[in-house]
Parts: sequence; structure tokens; C-alpha cells
Amino acid sequence: MRHSHRREISLAAAIVAIAAIMALAAPGFFTWGNARDLVMANLPVLIVALGMTLVILTGQIDISVGSQFAICSVAAGVFAKLGMPTPVACLAACLVGAAMGAANGALIAYGRVPSIVVTLATMVALRDGLRWVTEGAWVQDLPRTFQWFGRSQAASEAIAMAIAALLAAAIGWGLRNLAAGRAVYATGSSAQAARLAGIRPAHVIFAVLALTGALTGCAASLNAVRFNQVPANAGLGLEMQTIAAAIVGGTAVTGGRGGIVGTLLGVALLGIIGPALTYLGISAYWERALQGGIILAAVAMDAIRVRTREHGSLAVERS
Amino acid sequence: MAALPSSDRRPWRDRWFPNGEWVLLFALVLEAGVFSALGPNFFTLANFFEVVRLSVELGLLALALTPVMITGGIDLSVGSMMALAAVVFGAAWRDAGLPAGVAIALALLAGCAGGALNALLITGLGIPPIIVTLGSFSMFRGIAEGITHGAANYSNFPKALVMLGQGYWWGVLPVQLPILAVAAVAYALLLHRSAIGRTLYAIGFSPAGARYAGVRVARRVALVYFLSGMVASVAAIVYVAHLGQAKSDAGTGYELAAITAVVLGGTSVSGGRGTVWGTLLGLFSITILQNGLRLAALPSELTGVLTGAVLVLAIVLGRLRGGVRTRVAALALCAAIAAAAVLVAGTHGWLVRSPRQGARGGHRLVIAMMPKAKGDPYFTSCRTGAEEAARETNVDLIWDGPTGLDPAKQNEVVEGWITRRVDAIAVSVENQAGISTVLRKARQRGIRVLTWDADAAPDARDYFINQATPQGIGFTLTDEAARLLHGQGQFAIVTGALSAANQNQWIAFIRQRLAAQYPRLKLLDIRPSDDDRDKAFAETQTILKVYPKVQLIMGIAAPAVPGAAEAVRQSGRTDVYVIGLSLPNLCKRYVHDGVVQSVVLWNTRDLGYLTVYTAARLSENAIPAGATAFLAGRLGSIEVRGDQVILGKPFIFNRANIDQFDF
Repeated sequence: MRHSHRREISLAAAIVAIAAIMALAAPGFFTWGNARDLVMANLPVLIVALGMTLVILTGQIDISVGSQFAICSVAAGVFAKLGMPTPVACLAACLVGAAMGAANGALIAYGRVPSIVVTLATMVALRDGLRWVTEGAWVQDLPRTFQWFGRSQAASEAIAMAIAALLAAAIGWGLRNLAAGRAVYATGSSAQAARLAGIRPAHVIFAVLALTGALTGCAASLNAVRFNQVPANAGLGLEMQTIAAAIVGGTAVTGGRGGIVGTLLGVALLGIIGPALTYLGISAYWERALQGGIILAAVAMDAIRVRTREHGSLAVERS
Repeated sequence: MAALPSSDRRPWRDRWFPNGEWVLLFALVLEAGVFSALGPNFFTLANFFEVVRLSVELGLLALALTPVMITGGIDLSVGSMMALAAVVFGAAWRDAGLPAGVAIALALLAGCAGGALNALLITGLGIPPIIVTLGSFSMFRGIAEGITHGAANYSNFPKALVMLGQGYWWGVLPVQLPILAVAAVAYALLLHRSAIGRTLYAIGFSPAGARYAGVRVARRVALVYFLSGMVASVAAIVYVAHLGQAKSDAGTGYELAAITAVVLGGTSVSGGRGTVWGTLLGLFSITILQNGLRLAALPSELTGVLTGAVLVLAIVLGRLRGGVRTRVAALALCAAIAAAAVLVAGTHGWLVRSPRQGARGGHRLVIAMMPKAKGDPYFTSCRTGAEEAARETNVDLIWDGPTGLDPAKQNEVVEGWITRRVDAIAVSVENQAGISTVLRKARQRGIRVLTWDADAAPDARDYFINQATPQGIGFTLTDEAARLLHGQGQFAIVTGALSAANQNQWIAFIRQRLAAQYPRLKLLDIRPSDDDRDKAFAETQTILKVYPKVQLIMGIAAPAVPGAAEAVRQSGRTDVYVIGLSLPNLCKRYVHDGVVQSVVLWNTRDLGYLTVYTAARLSENAIPAGATAFLAGRLGSIEVRGDQVILGKPFIFNRANIDQFDF
């Protein structure tokens, strides 16, 4: 745990540094409107990253979330078109996500197939399957009550932010204080030791993957209702964004170490780099290079800090 | 359980298939059987070499990743490394004017440097490989995009280089095949016959244990990442020679495809297990599946679904060992899968063949038509018209194309159609330099070649179905913006992907028109949407705040216009116009609400219709050389201008007329 706290400090420092640059170079960055837009734009990433953190904490990985996100978005649209009230359609989409997550979880936990294999398979199969069924057609002509749940934009944005905050707080608190939360850490630290301590690692892994599916469904629904039509290719690259947020946020890829606060900071760092570069007037052509460079610099600085503190020890840490 | 084919005294199954690779061999035999029945010309030597040829780049990456994953690591940056090496090569050769040999050396050097950077961060600072290579995954491609501004496309390489990717020894053996063979043998020797190889397995099992046993862990691990960068740059050179172009989108998505091949081949993701032989089996079971589906004209989306199924099945079946009962169960399961596959193949073959015998008794024309991207709403609406024309002219229409962003996919699909010997090919060209070589090859084999939507080199096709030139699109969009802003003001563009060839052409003409006609119209910024509506939305939100004086947003990709429109509406700004190039159906609501002023496009259904109609007439030799017009079904008389078939001018949809169209 101590290691992850250090990472959180490094991350916070990086975010403060970017904020300082922005304050000097582009004060317009700090407006309520911009803050709200940034939060709303990163809400789906945040919610899925919560689940991803749990998955990585148990020592697994889920790279199918982007494909699940696309299917859940389309599902929410289709359910609404079938006449379900929007909140019910969103809940149904969460269930669809939970079902996909449970399928992943069952194969990983009970079929004992490595998680990267299972989710690599479901990533390509689900994405191509959706493309086959929809042929790329968007879900259109949604009922007027779909966008913003038929309420005002401000009200439903507040609802979405409240849901995300509640989820983050609940999962963050639960991880520290509930037996189930400790079981997640125990499973990731050592499945063998967890088993001896009376925890069933298979159940934990199954539950975590199913929960991630449900969270992906929730994120997809909250994203879908911001618009009045649903594209069939949503969530491309979401797996990379969420994994990056979690591991840049200090969650160890080998499992057992990390936490929600780090992930929140990771989402924040990755989410502000892009818009910040636009504010600074940097051409889009160099943006990706700078993003990669900033991530590498942040983790390298962190590694150097840890090195100098643990001076003398030859920690060969590798996943 | 170490994967050494050489260690004796183990049963043959363990020696040859230490990680259950027999499942893949079984899958390969099954694929070969099914596709021989379904795919014309599948079971030929020429097609075999074709499959191998198209697997070289991916194969090199998969070989490089095998030792990386055996040490328990991962390298996500190989695809991006390909892009960087390709761009370095192109820039050194064309911009710096260096000889091709020196440029290749520089590209390899870039690969070594990239690999060394990964190695340094991983072993020097002890950062987990997945984090390091996730960062360099963005950075390498980002540098390539920065150098080229996404648009520069290096081509017209010397003949000797192009031969490396497109030539054949003695007319059959692809030139690049020995590269893959040498790499495979070298990696097999390294992993299975050398002391270093043994230590890699040891590191994968337990890095700490290996260190106590006296292995220099950091040095060995650094070696595999260094090699991975170097081999990725070799793959980049083969790729450049194969496509005849070097661009910053080279190798998009290759890292995942390569990892899939390695994992399918039985390499354990947690390290310590895996063989070169397994990786090759994994590679070919994927590429043969793709090739077979293409030749059998089955939907290419099945590739993903089936790859996923094979991936899980291979691992599950590979696990079953020991006891008689599990072995019987495994055999029963295999038999069931085989029976099901044969049943599907049989019924499908019967379904495909039976209606053909009825029609006209003889040979029915087969027209193959390719969109830039399958599953894009724009192309889906073109397909509707294409199918209509296929019914009227009584031809078989094959509709296939890339499902991702990989620019090499279009070439692969055309190669498949050449092997299948279709009568006519119609392509919406993504990369002009890249596809022209393979289209010329198709023409040499007597296939009629058309381009539609976007053109190839003029000598690579018979006719171009011209719905609008890049100039026409660029100028129309600029004129429309100038009309709305009365010739004066500031605007921003939301494009597709930064490296999208068409969009970059349009942008060039937009800039040209601005400079020539509208000096007081200012282009503030160009932002990418990656054809993702949600990204277009977020980018437009940022534009509106960074440039408060912006008066117009121009979206030049189908999902970009609705994304931009929603952002403008939610911002509450009523003084910002939105125009662009998109499908009327996606924008209807916004046009009626007054957020979007106008959408520039042509009748996509008519475009698909005209393409198939022209292909059918051309294959029947009903369009003589020098013809100035021909009758195209419901479209009436269509003008032919030289080697272009003219559909008409770009059309401007606005509130007055948009309801008359449904596509």
C-alpha cells in the first residue's frame, strides 16, 4: 500500500504542474463551463476505470470493455425505442453489460482460462458481432424523452455526476472497509494465501468481472443519453484509456496493490492533457506524441523517486 | 513443462505440443477442409504463397513478441514502432534525398533506438512493461504523425525496394518469404537451442529465482525488448515495400493481432511457456481463416467472432490432458466441432451454388465491391444502391472491405479477389499509392477494375465513377462557409482521423480556395475525431471555448457533423454555424432545429447503383472505348468523360430539401 501512496503524490504533482502551466499560459482553462464539460467527457472513462481497477487489483485484466460499451450503448437505444422508459432502458443496458461481464468472469474464474485470452477473444468477437448485426447503422429516431431522460440538461448532468461520485465513493470505501473489498486485495496478492484464509478467489474474480460489465453498461447509458442518436462504434480504445488510467494511477498490474484515489487521479491526468494542449495552441499532429511522452515522464519520475528512496536495494520489479 | 522440443524421454505429444498446440493443427486442417469446399481457388499453391506473403509483417511482430511474453512481459508499441520506422525511412529517402539503402539503415536504427528506450525504462527503472509500452505506443505513432502532419505519404520508391514486397522468385515464391523464414529460424534457435533462451524461460517462471541462479535478468530482458524494436522496424520496411507507401498509419492495430497470434500459439501470458512453432501455428490459423472467409465471400466480421471462439477453445482443449475420460471428451468435442463445420460448409455451398445453376445456364458475372470501411453508415447506404443494381443486372455482388483502420487491409481483400478470379473489382480507395499496385496486378490478370468514391492512379483502373472530385468537395464546402459568413470570419475544422487520405486532400483544397478567394476567412484549427461521434463532440466543445470568436464549425467526416452540432447546441451558442460533409439522416434533426445549416454530399444510393451498373456493362463489353455516354438503368443516360463516369455535382442538403432523401 505504501508504494501506491507515493504514486498518488507523483500524479498529483504532475496534475498541479499542468494546472500551473495552464494558469500562466491560458487562464481561460479554469472556468466552470470547461470544468463541467471535462467532467462530463471523462465520466464514462471514470466509471469503467473503477471496474478496471478492481479487475487489475485481483490480478486480472479486461480488454473487452470498449466492445461491451458499444453493445450497451446500442442496447440502451434499442430498448428505449421499444418503448421502455429511459431509466428502465438504462438499467436493462446495465444488465446486458453485467451478463457479458459474467460470461467473461465465468470463463476466467471457473474455466481457468487466462483473463487476457478470454477478454481478447470477447473484444474482437463482440465488436465484430455488433458490426455484423448493425452494419454500422446508428440507432435513430429515439423518443424525445431519451436525451437527458427528458429532463433539463443541467438536471440530468447533475444526476450523472452524482451517480459517478456515488459509485467512486462506494467502491473506494468498500475496498478499504468491507470484507469483500479486502478479499479483492487478498485475491490479487496471492490467490493461494487467500484460499487458505477462507476466501474463494474464483468467486471474487467472477464477481469483479461481472461488476465491471455492469459499470460499463452504466457508463454507456449515461453517455448515450447525452445525445439523441446512438452510433454503433462507440467506445473504441476505451480499454486502453481505462487500463492506462488505473496503472498510471498506481494500481500494480500484478494485482494486490493500488486503489480508487489513484485511478481518479489517473483519469484526471489523462483527461486534461488533451484539452490542455489544445488550449496551448499545440497542433493536433503533435498531441499524441506529447501525451505518450507525458505518461512516460510521469511514471519514470515516479520510478526514479522510489529508486532513490529505496537506495541500495536491487528491486527487480517486473510484471 | 519447459517448451523444449529437444529434451528427450517425453511422450511425442509433450515434445511437439507442450502447450496444446495440437488444437491449432486440428483447427488448421479443419479450416483447410472447409474452405477448400467453399472458396474457389482456395486449395492452390498460389493461394498458399499468397497467404504466407500477407502474413510476413504480422509474423515478424508475433515472432518478436514470443520471447517478450515468455519473459512475462508485453510490448504494445510494435505497431506504432512500424509507423515510426516507415516514416523515418520515407523522410530520409525523399526529404533528405538519401539512397534507399541508407534510409533503410536509418529506419532500422530508429527501431533499435525505440527498442532500447523501452528496454531502458523497463530494466533500468523497473517500470512494468505494460506501462512503458503503453506510453511508447502513443509516443512512437505520435512522433510519426508529428513528422508527417498525418498527411505526408511517401511513395514512388525505387523498383528494387518495391520488389522486396511485391515481387516473386521464379514467379511463385514471394520475395519477402525468406525474411520471415530466417527470422523464424533465428528466433527458434535463440529460444530453443541457446543458453540465452533457457534463461528467458527461467525469467518468465520466476525473475527472482533466475537472479539467484546467476542469470543477469536485466540484461536478458533488455535484449528481448531491443530485438522487438529492431524486428518491428524490419517489418516496417517489408510493409513499406509491400504497400509501396510509407505513412504514419502503418501497422495500426498490429500489436493486438500479433499478441492474438502469440497467445493462440500457446504462449503463456504470465511467462515461462511458449514456442516459436506454436506462434507460427497461431499466426497461420488466423491468416488462413481471413483468407478463406474472403475467398468464400463470407462476411469478414466472422473473422473476429471465429478468432475469438478459436482462442478460447484452443486454450480450453489444450488444457485437457491426462485421464482417459477427458481425452474421450476432448475427442468427442473436436468431432462435434468438425461435424458442425462440415455441415455449415455443406449447406452454405449448396445454398450458394443451387441458384446459380438456374440463371442463364452459363457463367454468372461476379462483381466485387469494396468500401473504405465496412460498417460505416455512409458506405452502408451506398451498398443499398449497389444491391439494387446487382438485382437488375443479374450479377452476383460481393461486398467486402476493412473493418478496422489498418490501411493494408484493402490490398489484402483485392489480392483475395484476384485469387478468386472475380469478373470486376470496384474499390473506394483509401490509400492511392498503396492500392494502385495491386489494382494493376488485377488488370493484368484480365479483371475489369473500377474505382468509386475515391480514385486510384489513372493507369490502375478502367474507369473512375466520379461523384465529386476532392477539389469539388473542398471548394463547395469553402464556398458554403463563405456564403454563411459573408466572406469574413473565423472557422474550425473537425476531421476524421488525422492520417485519413481523403480528408487531407479536401483540407488542401479548402486552404487553396481560402487563399485564392476568401482572404478574410480564417481557418483557426483542425481537430481529429477519429470517426467517433463522441470524440467530435468533445473536440468541438474545446474549440468553442479556446476560440470564443469561432463562427462556424466544419465537420468533414460523417460522424463529425452530428457530434459538432450537439456540442454547439449544448453550449447554447446560437451564433455558431455548423456545416459539413455527412449523411442527411444523421443530421436531419439538427438541420430542422437550425443548428446545422447545410450538409454537402451526393446521392450515395445512386453512387452504389451506378458503380455496379457500370461494372456489369463493362464486363459485358457494352461500353466501347471512347464512348461518351451509356444507359444506366433508372439513372438514364450517364455521361462518360474520358476515363471518368460522371454521377453529378456535390449536392447541398438544407432545411428545404433534406426530407426528400432517406439515406
